[in-house]
Amino acid sequence: MLKKLTYFSIDHPKLVIILILVLTGLFLFQFPKAHIDTDPENMLEANQSDRVFYDQVKKDFGIRDIIVLGITDENGIFQTETLGKIARITEDILKIDGVVIEDVISFTTTDNVISEGGMMQVRRIMETVPQTKEDAEAIKASIYDNPLFVEKIVSKDGDAVALYIPIQQKDMSYDISKEIESVVQKELGRGQNYYIAGLPVAEDTFGSEMFLQMGILAPLIGLVIFLLMFFLFRKASLVVSPMIVAMFSVAWGMGAMIGLGFTVHIMSSMIPIFLMPIAVLDSVHILSEFYDRYPALQDRKQTLLAVTDELFTPMFYTSITTAVGFGSLTLAAIPPVRVFGAFVAIGVMAAWLLTVTLIPASIMLIREEKLSAKVAKREKKPSLLTKLLPGVGRFAFGQSRIIVFGAAALLAVGIWGLTKIVVNDNPVNWFNEDHKIRIADRVMNHYFGGTYMAYLAIEGHQPDDIKRPEVMAYISELQKYLEERDVVGKTSSVADIVKRVERVLKGGSEAQNRIPESQDEIGQYLFLFLMSGNPNDLDNFVDYDYQKANIWVQMKRGDNRDMEKVEQAVQQFFDNNHVPEGIEIRWSGLTYINKVWQDLMVKGMLKAVLGGFLAVFILMLILFRSPGLAFISMMPLTFAIVLSYGLIGFIGKDYDMPIAVCSSLALGLSIDFAIHFIQRFRRKFQECGDLENTIGYIFQEPARAISRNAFVIIFGFLPLVFASLTPYVTVGAFFAMLMSFSTLTTLILLPALMRMVGFRFMKR
Amino acid sequence: MLDKKLIRFITSMTIFSVLLTHGLAESQEKLSGQEIINKSQQIFFYVGKDMKAKVLMKLISKSGKERIRELTMLRLNKGESGEQKYYMYFHRPADVREMTFMIWKYLGKNDDRWLYVPSIKLVRRIAANDKNSSFVGSDFTYEDISGREVVEDTHTLNAEEELNGKSVNVVESIPKEEKSAFYSRKVSWIDQETFLPLKEEYYDKRGDLYKIFTAGKIESVQGIATIMQRTMANVKNGHRTIVTFEEVSYNIGLREDIFSERYLRSAPRKWIK
Repeated sequence: MLKKLTYFSIDHPKLVIILILVLTGLFLFQFPKAHIDTDPENMLEANQSDRVFYDQVKKDFGIRDIIVLGITDENGIFQTETLGKIARITEDILKIDGVVIEDVISFTTTDNVISEGGMMQVRRIMETVPQTKEDAEAIKASIYDNPLFVEKIVSKDGDAVALYIPIQQKDMSYDISKEIESVVQKELGRGQNYYIAGLPVAEDTFGSEMFLQMGILAPLIGLVIFLLMFFLFRKASLVVSPMIVAMFSVAWGMGAMIGLGFTVHIMSSMIPIFLMPIAVLDSVHILSEFYDRYPALQDRKQTLLAVTDELFTPMFYTSITTAVGFGSLTLAAIPPVRVFGAFVAIGVMAAWLLTVTLIPASIMLIREEKLSAKVAKREKKPSLLTKLLPGVGRFAFGQSRIIVFGAAALLAVGIWGLTKIVVNDNPVNWFNEDHKIRIADRVMNHYFGGTYMAYLAIEGHQPDDIKRPEVMAYISELQKYLEERDVVGKTSSVADIVKRVERVLKGGSEAQNRIPESQDEIGQYLFLFLMSGNPNDLDNFVDYDYQKANIWVQMKRGDNRDMEKVEQAVQQFFDNNHVPEGIEIRWSGLTYINKVWQDLMVKGMLKAVLGGFLAVFILMLILFRSPGLAFISMMPLTFAIVLSYGLIGFIGKDYDMPIAVCSSLALGLSIDFAIHFIQRFRRKFQECGDLENTIGYIFQEPARAISRNAFVIIFGFLPLVFASLTPYVTVGAFFAMLMSFSTLTTLILLPALMRMVGFRFMKR
Repeated sequence: MLDKKLIRFITSMTIFSVLLTHGLAESQEKLSGQEIINKSQQIFFYVGKDMKAKVLMKLISKSGKERIRELTMLRLNKGESGEQKYYMYFHRPADVREMTFMIWKYLGKNDDRWLYVPSIKLVRRIAANDKNSSFVGSDFTYEDISGREVVEDTHTLNAEEELNGKSVNVVESIPKEEKSAFYSRKVSWIDQETFLPLKEEYYDKRGDLYKIFTAGKIESVQGIATIMQRTMANVKNGHRTIVTFEEVSYNIGLREDIFSERYLRSAPRKWIK
C-alpha cells in the first residue's frame, strides 16, 4: 500500500521533487525562530521537586549565579602595585552591565570587621590602595586574621586572590566573562595570570561554542558521508540525491522542532549530526541493490520496481525500529532528552519518506545511457568487499559452534563490565583538557576552597528558630564535619558570622571562637553585624525572619560522584547527630542539581533502553512471525550494547549524558543490520532450501549493503572525534565502537546462529 | 589637616549664610543648587535645638517579607557648629530590646559610634569609615539618617517643576570624589516652600537608577514641617524600607550628658519608656 508512494514517484519524478522542495522550504522557514538553551537546570522538569526547591533557596537567600575571577601573582599579591591593579580591576568590573554591584566580593567592596585597640572597626578590606610595603603587609595581616576570608578570597599562600562576581542572569555569563577578560588583560603584567571559573560560565560558554562546533561539524560530516558514498558508488549524480535526503531530513526534523516552539538545547543541537548518517542508510541499500540488478535488466524503471519489491518492507521496518529506538528516549524524565528522541525519530521517518520518493524520482531523471555506461564500467573490477565478504561467510558457517560459544563467553565478560560502570558527569569536563575553562577550574580549585557551589538549606518551624543556640551550634558542627571531607574546601554560614562577631566584640584570641549560649546574645550579635556591615552579607545566609538558614558548601571538584559522596557523608552525620527538633535540612545548589538530573538520567535511560528493546522485539515478532527469528535478530544490538558499555565499565570511562544517549541510537540502528540479514536470508532459504547456498548468497550483495552501511555510519560519525567539546567526541568515538560491534555480530554471529538453530524457524 | 579646617570653615560659613537668608524669608533671588541643598539639609537634619522621635522601620524584602525595627531616637545639635549627637534605643525586634546606639557626628571627619550589647553588658566603640553602609540592615545608609556634608558634592539646579502639586527645585548632586559616595549622581526634588526633599533618585556607578527616596506624609509638628513617613526603595534588588515617625517633638530640652556611655548602659527613663 505504502509502495504506491514509490510507484507514484517513479511515474511523476518532477512533480514529486517540486512538492518536496516546497515542503522543505516551509520547514527551513522555521529556523530563524530558534531559541538557544544551555541551562543544565532545564535537564529537570520545571516542576521537579529539587528544582523547585533550588528556586526557592535562591529566592530566600538572594543567591545569584556567580562568576569567580582568580588573579595570581607569582611574587604574591600583597604588593602595592598588584593591590592597585586589583582595585582598578574591581572598579571596572562594577561598571559592567549585568553585574550585581552590591554583592561583588573583592578587597575594595567587602567589609572586614576587626578588633583594634578595643574598638570594633568596620571597613573595606582595602579602603585605599597602600603606598608602602608596611601598609600592604597590614592589609595582609587583617585578611588572614579573619577566617571567613582565607581560601575564599585569598589563597593560603597569598599568591592568589578571588573576586566573586554575581550576575543578574545565568545566560549573561559568557558575555560578562568576555568583558571581565578584557578589563583584566589591560592591567596584568608579567608573572600575573587570571582565571575565570564557575559553573555558569562553563555552561554558557559551552552553549556558544556548541553552535560554532555544529557549524563546522555538520558540514564536515556531510562531506565525509559524501566522500564515503562516492567511494562506494563512484557516481556523483547518484550520490547527490542521498545527500539531499540527509540534509532535507535535518531540515524537516529541526524545522518541526523549532516550529513547535522547543528550544535548541545541548541535546537537540546534536540532532543534525545524528540524523545525517542515519538518513542515508536506506538510500545506500537502494543504490546498492540498484547497482546489482541494473546490469541484468538495463532499464531504470524495471530495476527500480524490482528493487522496491525487494527492499520496501525491510526499509520500512528498519526505519520504524530506528525511530522507535530514539522514540524510547521519550520515556526518560529529562525534557531535553525527550525532545531530542522525539525529533530524531521524526527526522528518521522523514528520511524514510524522502528516500522512497526522492531517490527513485531522481534516478528516473538520469538518462538511461549515462546510467548504463557508469554501472557497466564499475562492474568490471570487483571491489575489496566483494572479495573479502564470502570468506567471512565461509568462516562463520564452518566454525559456527566455536563462534556461538565464544560469543556467549564474550557476552558474559561484557555483563561483568557492565557492573563496573561508574555514573558521573561534570559540565566543566565537557571541555577539552587544555581549554581555558578546564585550566581555570584546576588552578582555582588548587588555590581556593572550591568553585563548585552546593547549599545545605536549613529550615525551622517558626521564625527565629535559626537563632536557637542548639541550632546554631549544630550548623557549626556540621560545617566542621563537612570541611573534614576531602572534596569540600570551605563552608560558610550564619554561624561563622556569629562566631566572628563574638571574637571581635570580646577582643582577641582564637579560643573564643564559639557559639554563644543564649538566643538573645545570638540575636544581638546578628543585629550588630547588620548595623556594621552590608546587610546582603547576612541575607545570603539567613532568610528574613530567621526561620531558614543556608550553609554554603564550596567543593573543589564538581563531579556528581563527589557530590554523591558528600551527600552520603552528611547523611551519616545526621544519623549520628540528631538534628535539633523542628529543623529540617536539605541539599540544593547547582552542583547538587546536576547530580539529581544525572540520577534521573541513569534511571530514565535504563527505562528507555528496556522499553525500546521491548518495542523493537515486538516489531520483530510482527515482521518475522517467529519468536526464534525475532530473538536472533536482537543479537547484534544486544552484543553492541553489552560489549560497548561493558568496555566503558572496564576502562573506567564515566557513564555520562552522551554515553547514555548512544544506547538508544544503537538500539535503533543495530537492528537494521539484523532485519536485512534475516529477511533476505529467509527469502533465499525458502527459495533454495539449502543453508550453504543461502549463506553464499547472503555474503554477496546483502552483506555488501550491510557493510557499506556500516562504513557510512561508522565513518560518518568519526569527524566528531575532532570536536573541541568532549560530549561530541564521546558520541563520535563511542558510536563508532557500538556500530563496529553490531556489524561484526551481524556478519559473524548471525550466520553461525542461523546454521545452528535459525533454519529451524523458517518454513519452506 | 588644612583640608579639614577649611571644610569646617566653609561649612559653618555656609550654614551661617543660610540662616541669614532664611531670616529674610521668601527669597526674591534665585538660589543656587548648593544653597538649596544647604537649606534643605538644615530643615531636614538640623531643625530645632533637639528632637525626639519614636521611629518604626519596616524592612521589606522583594518577596514581601518584613523585618521590624522600632526605636526611640534622640538628637541634639551642638549649637551652630554643625556637630550633632544621636542616641537610639531599640524596642524591637524583641531579642535586641535595650540595645542602644550612639553617634557623635562631626564635620570633616568620621563620626564616633558606640553600641551597647545588653546580653553581655558591653559597650563597644565602632569605627566605621564608611557612612555608606546600611543602617540596621535597612535601605537607608548612615548618611541618609544623619546627613552628608554639603561640600562633598557639586550641586546644580537643573529645573523647577511641579511634583504632586508642589513647586519643586530639581537639584543634581555629583560627588567631587568618586570614592566618597556609593552613588555617581543624585537628583533631588526639593519643595520650594518647605525645602524638604520630596523625592531623591540615586544612580549607581554605572549610571543606572539604584535607589529612590520618597517623602510620604508631611505634617506640621510644633509649627515645623516634618516628614512623618519616608520610603527608600532599592530598585535593583526590590528591597525597600518604610520609616514612620510615630511621635515627634522638638526643643524638649535634652541635656548633653545623656549622650554618654553611662546612658548607653542604662537608658534615660525620662525620655524612653
